[in-house]
Amino acid sequence: MPDNPIAVQLVDAVLSDFPDHQPGTRPVHTIGIGVQGYFEASEVARNYTIAAHFQGQRVPVTVRFSNGTGSPVEHDGWSDVRGMATRFHLGDDVATDLIAMTLAEFFAPSVDAFLQFSRAARPARQQRESPWQKILDMLCLKQPLPDPMPGQMASGAAGMLAFANQHRFAQMAVFQAGSIGAPVSYVRAAYHAVHTFILTGPDHVRRPVRFSWEPIAGVRTTDPTAPPVDCYLHQELKDRLQRQPATFRLVMSIGEIGDAYADPTRQWPGKRCRVFMGTLTLTTVPEDQEIFCEKISFNPCRLTPGIDISDDPILQARRDAYEVSRLRRGGQSCPFAAG
Amino acid sequence: MSVAFIPHELQGNILRGYRRSMVRYLLLEVADRQAARIWLGAIAAREGADGLSITTESAWSSKPDFCFNVGLTFEGLRALGVAPDSLQTFPTEFVEGMTARAAKLGDFGPSDPQTWPAPFDEPARLHIIASIYADDEPHLDQVQAHIAAAGGGRALRIRGTREGRNFNGDVVHFGYRDNISQPRFAVIHDRPEISEPMAPLGTVLLGHETSFEGLFWRVPQPDPLGLNGCFNAFRILAQDVAAFETYLDQAAEELLVHRLTEHVLKPGDEAKFGQGISRLAALREIVAAHMCGRWRNGVPLALSPDTPNPQSPVSLTDFDYTAQSGCPVGAHVRRSNPRGGKIVQRIENHTRRLVRRGIPYGGPYDPTRPDDEERGLLGNFLGANLGTQFEAISCDWLNLGLQDPQITGSNDPLLGANEPATSWFDMSLLNGASIRLRGFPRFVRTRGGAYTFLPSIPALRYLATLTG
Amino acid sequence: MESEATWFDRLVDALPNTRLFQFIAEWILVPYWAARTPVKPQPGGPRMAPQPSENLQHMMNLIMPLKDKSPIGRAKAALAIAQNVDEIYAGLNNVGTVHFARFVLVDGNLCMFSVYDGDFSNYIRDFIATIGSVFNAIVALIEDGDAVIPCEHHVEAFIDWVHARDLYQVPDLATDLLAQHNAAASGDDLRLLPRDLILQLHANPNVSLGSGYRGYPAFSVAQIRQKLGVGW
Repeated sequence: MPDNPIAVQLVDAVLSDFPDHQPGTRPVHTIGIGVQGYFEASEVARNYTIAAHFQGQRVPVTVRFSNGTGSPVEHDGWSDVRGMATRFHLGDDVATDLIAMTLAEFFAPSVDAFLQFSRAARPARQQRESPWQKILDMLCLKQPLPDPMPGQMASGAAGMLAFANQHRFAQMAVFQAGSIGAPVSYVRAAYHAVHTFILTGPDHVRRPVRFSWEPIAGVRTTDPTAPPVDCYLHQELKDRLQRQPATFRLVMSIGEIGDAYADPTRQWPGKRCRVFMGTLTLTTVPEDQEIFCEKISFNPCRLTPGIDISDDPILQARRDAYEVSRLRRGGQSCPFAAG
Repeated sequence: MSVAFIPHELQGNILRGYRRSMVRYLLLEVADRQAARIWLGAIAAREGADGLSITTESAWSSKPDFCFNVGLTFEGLRALGVAPDSLQTFPTEFVEGMTARAAKLGDFGPSDPQTWPAPFDEPARLHIIASIYADDEPHLDQVQAHIAAAGGGRALRIRGTREGRNFNGDVVHFGYRDNISQPRFAVIHDRPEISEPMAPLGTVLLGHETSFEGLFWRVPQPDPLGLNGCFNAFRILAQDVAAFETYLDQAAEELLVHRLTEHVLKPGDEAKFGQGISRLAALREIVAAHMCGRWRNGVPLALSPDTPNPQSPVSLTDFDYTAQSGCPVGAHVRRSNPRGGKIVQRIENHTRRLVRRGIPYGGPYDPTRPDDEERGLLGNFLGANLGTQFEAISCDWLNLGLQDPQITGSNDPLLGANEPATSWFDMSLLNGASIRLRGFPRFVRTRGGAYTFLPSIPALRYLATLTG
Repeated sequence: MESEATWFDRLVDALPNTRLFQFIAEWILVPYWAARTPVKPQPGGPRMAPQPSENLQHMMNLIMPLKDKSPIGRAKAALAIAQNVDEIYAGLNNVGTVHFARFVLVDGNLCMFSVYDGDFSNYIRDFIATIGSVFNAIVALIEDGDAVIPCEHHVEAFIDWVHARDLYQVPDLATDLLAQHNAAASGDDLRLLPRDLILQLHANPNVSLGSGYRGYPAFSVAQIRQKLGVGW
């Protein structure tokens, strides 16, 4: 598995988008913070899946929130995708993961397309668009290019935009990423697992579903016109949890005929049947982040009976890519060693 | 407001079926407008050009060798030179054409008009659908040759043909007896065995009273063009017999070991299905019957819930659906015609009735020698208002299942746009409980079609007089 | 730092919020681009889709300009509705597919907003059959309404008339607007998305922003009534 060439290619492609990436750290979502808490499934969740963490008992969890970039420099206040990786501890060293991000869709529907996208997104020297060019844009009723963040020298934004103009599948993700902003807190953002999973119910019925975490305190981003602050998310979370726990609702949409089961670039509209699957309560930020968080290797395909992966090629590729990445940085536990 | 009923002014394929063993559809493009108009005028005459004339509703003294009718698409009317202000008086769904209505009709995925073969891939060039009904091929060829030669060969271009033939009486590809239930009209007496509520003539003919109290459909103008016309949804529906039979196997296997199996079929009742028939084979027939609402021999589940061979014969058409009905709410015949049964849209009972005329195409499927040959049904769904009848049934009832909360969100098990991942259908058991079947694919794919207008004889004459 | 903003940068950045630019945009730029790159006004109402849940809880946003926009004319509209409460409930219950419906007067417009299950034409046709007289009383007060009443005799034209006044629903996913305007598979410019929206709003001044947000999506009126045990 670690020599799966596609997985290696994927990790290299992602790394190439972050020239200042430090060996031994995660290739993306490099800066993060681990939190502990528990998950309690709703009273209806068990009607949809036999998976252990949806049976209603309190399940301990570890969550890692992160900024999207693979750069080692923390810029909390920059407009960026955030991650929320959740590990449900099912007992006896058994666990399952749910990996989500603040984008509601991915950039590419296939491995090949993603490799192309990564090439397109390689950072190029970024300069402020000239005022004359901006005036021209305005005369064309065209959105001017966003200004770089203070101190930002290079960015993949222009490459991504050019790619999205050529590939409709990337448009929504690029468009949303361009205006995503920064959350006031890691627990004031909604996170989406993006891929389709297949749940198996106690009646053996298999359903295509997608998951999202919704913060019960509500979604809130920072003022985009104010100068961005580089480091605040970690301290905010520590302070907040000392006062009171933070909670998220796990929301599940059920797919229907015509939905893109295997295509993570297409969101499912809000009109799908929406099931409330449970509540996540986050209580503490462990002191030893290295042990409780940074060493953990999450994997979107670390599942448990009652929940399976779909035919989504990106989801399937992430399984090995995460493993390659784990080996490179020396993270814990290979979930598929037995297989 | 109703107009008189004059049989010899109507095309004969609207109110009754000819019951011929073969039908050939010629898919025509108007190549020379003036020559085509002259030809339409000629076939409208009682003694048509070279003996070819439209078969009308007039009673026959002797059965003709063949019958012949025409339908015109909106593009066809335009190609014939119908004036814009007249074209504007046709209903929107007909103006847009069948391909533009794909979403309403469930024509997506494998039924998407983009996948339809020629000539249905160019709907703008499909102008006239001529239908020839006969009992042998030479007569079909004779009429086709006549049309090819119309106007010295200049009038029309034959862009394709489709041919259907009966292979076993009224039995169609999934093995059901078809052509049982049709609306009954006070003026027509050809099917005395049909026992259903009378339908007003406006169900199929423009200018007559409709089944909605006080509602009239717009008659396309001028009157000679629109009155006594009828709209038709011509559909080429490919049937996947192998998938259907395979699914029956799968479902029967599940039912065999289901904890409620004795309520599906009482042990010992297998003999009701025929001598020496296995329990598995009987269960297959039960699944097939529940999906359709009729046993394959046509006996309605509503009247005979437990056997296709009731001891005393039952009417095939004289029944209604009740809360206790043995016919599942989601069964095909109940979805497409809920009769007087309780439905959400109370106003809609009996208002979406349409006339169905179909004939199978492709040879019968032989399970011992599986093949890839396309087979299915050449279907015609006739009514005075496509939106009220054909489209309304397609988008609210066959798919979606809006008429009953127990089936809402599911699609017709036989005809619906299904996929194994999400399809479901509830069988109703003898004890009132139900078993949900899942995992069936789409059995019927659309492979072509068009909305046509079946003009009256005076309308054909009117078209012949157009100039420009 | 080279990307430090100069006074000129700051001036240009502030330009879109100036009166002058707004004036130029409204009177010159929008008309110019509307003529140069015309967009078709998109049809109103929801679009049918393969997914069953897309075809439940549809939104209708009907904006109907009153002939008489004076308080007297608006009062007439209010009366026409108030006098027909029995008719409205009988229609609602027998058509069976309406979640909510309400009438609102906004300036000189009578607006009807509703949430209904299934196909639009069937919905309107069923109401013509059950409460055509109420439609006739209302539409008689509306500009260009006389041509389609009595609705029982102009069923097709009436449905088309209502459809034409049902607001266009901007796609829920912003970038789908690009695909609606440009049928080709690629060749879009994401940065022109604002212009696409502006030109669509130029052609279509009143729109519904998306297809609405739902608290219990994917269920019909009858399913909810059945679950609640109040009959359907």
